[in-house]
Amino acid sequence: MKHILTTALLAASLVLSGCGKKNADGSSKKEDTIALQNIGSDTMVNLAQAWAEAYHNVEPKVSVEVSGGGSGIGVAALINGTCDIANSSRKLEKEEEEKATAKYGGKHPVEHHIGYDALAIYVHPSNPITEISIEQLAEIYKEGGKFNKWSDLGITMPSGQDEIVRASRQNNSGTYHYFREAVVGKKNDFKQGSRDMNGSKEVVDLVATTPSAIGFSGIGYRTDKVKVIKVAKKTGEPGIEPSIKTTLDKTYPIARPMFMYVPPTAKPEAEKYIAWIVSEPGQKIVIKEGYVPLDAFAPKDAK
Amino acid sequence: MTMHAQIQPAPQFGETPFTRKKRRNEKIAQGIFAVMVACIVIPLFLIVGYLIKEGVSLISWEFLTTNPTGGMRKGGIWSALLGTFWLVGTSLCISAPIGVLAAVYLNEYAKDNWFNRVVNLAVVNLAGVPSIVHALFGLGAFVLFAGMGRSIIAASLTLAIMTMPVIIASTKEALAAVPRQFREACWNVGATKWQTIWRIVLPNSISGILTGVILQVSRTAGETAPIMFTGAVFYRKIEEGNLFAYGLGDQCMALSMHLFTVTTQVTNAPHALPFAIATVLLAFVLLVNLTAILFRSWLRSRKKW
Repeated sequence: MKHILTTALLAASLVLSGCGKKNADGSSKKEDTIALQNIGSDTMVNLAQAWAEAYHNVEPKVSVEVSGGGSGIGVAALINGTCDIANSSRKLEKEEEEKATAKYGGKHPVEHHIGYDALAIYVHPSNPITEISIEQLAEIYKEGGKFNKWSDLGITMPSGQDEIVRASRQNNSGTYHYFREAVVGKKNDFKQGSRDMNGSKEVVDLVATTPSAIGFSGIGYRTDKVKVIKVAKKTGEPGIEPSIKTTLDKTYPIARPMFMYVPPTAKPEAEKYIAWIVSEPGQKIVIKEGYVPLDAFAPKDAK
Repeated sequence: MTMHAQIQPAPQFGETPFTRKKRRNEKIAQGIFAVMVACIVIPLFLIVGYLIKEGVSLISWEFLTTNPTGGMRKGGIWSALLGTFWLVGTSLCISAPIGVLAAVYLNEYAKDNWFNRVVNLAVVNLAGVPSIVHALFGLGAFVLFAGMGRSIIAASLTLAIMTMPVIIASTKEALAAVPRQFREACWNVGATKWQTIWRIVLPNSISGILTGVILQVSRTAGETAPIMFTGAVFYRKIEEGNLFAYGLGDQCMALSMHLFTVTTQVTNAPHALPFAIATVLLAFVLLVNLTAILFRSWLRSRKKW
């Protein structure tokens, strides 16, 4: 008899321990909370997180759920209809726009320009290089490019490791797409043997620990363990430091706009959220996180 | 030493090369086994010690009960901790009953024919499927096909599918450990199969069954791949102190995923943060395992054979 009791008790406790949750949740679940699924760009994910965190104090009823993965993941979610806001550090390609429009019965997803990201070129702090041109970068990264060693660029590495270790990104990343377009050239492939990292921070981390490495990532991922070098449009021209000012006046050659896409069927709260993002408080966070705000919100004394 | 000498009978024969060899081999075997144990135990202590040493400075009650703030660099891990609780609880609620009942059928009722042998083989093989494959299945079946979207329920179902084969296997093991004579005695006094299972087999194997089930908690809590695709998010703020801040249809944060994002994504996060998260995750798993061990020894003390 005791055995039966024990068994029954155990089984009951096992099952109830979790099922109780389900019941309680179904009824008392905060019905007034609206969840916004915000997914996409890895470059923007920290910024998106900072916005979500701050917006909770502005509109406590809206809970923004942020996921990363890459612009490609965001665009795919937009096309599949599984998000409220898709983050992308590149413009929708024509084909993607068509697919998304077809998904929403002819209505276009709404594009919001929410700021800029300057793509910084990172090297190890011990590397004496101070500036690099787009052409030189292309020779380092593209298939058949002629720069494989730092000495090819006239740089003598103090560590003695002359071989350039190239950090790159996985191919569904918006950063990868942009870099290919702006530096490598659309027709060219990346050189074999680059380290394709899965996130912007991983690129920076690799560069921080590898004296002979070079890598590219959003300026928001800058840390004091890496060096950001100036970039020149052409070899011979002066190198430009990435900053708010040089990004906005377009003198820094590798900066790109960041976008948020809202499906036409999205909840009205999504548009309200983005309206807050492109207003003063939202744009202040952009600056605080190390990205570049829209022109109207740039600090007057920005360098 | 004197005790030892007393117990040992006086050597009847002098030491021969054969006995010397025997003793030497015994020592060698013992040495090898001791080294093997050290190989397992020392790294374990090193890992745990290192994690705690690096992470302990951050851990406090506040760390456990507040949401991450300051771009996930400050604050605590509340939303991730609660997310892990929910994922583990819900998935166990699904996998434990189904897994245990399926094992009872397979062990007690199923006849030994080709079909059931195929089922058994499938269960064993399913237990060996990598979690990332389960993740893809979960994404296709629950998130997209069943229309659950990325949610706790979709993630829990994925985790449940992943743990179920192991629960079935361990439960079958526990059931098979009940001597056949127990069942035969029961049948001989006219009991049906179900009566035998309910009154004899289950009570005598419950400790083994529960151990198998509870050990799956650690696996569920640690998995990142299946939930990354099906319901875990990078960031989400929830009400602090409310155990029901998540609903089954919500997405959630999870400790394993949080550890991953903090190390791979958040710049300038405090050095101790990932270690603190790892320590909490480890403590959660060890706590559950400890409960399992205590529970089992308690149940075993009541066993009558």
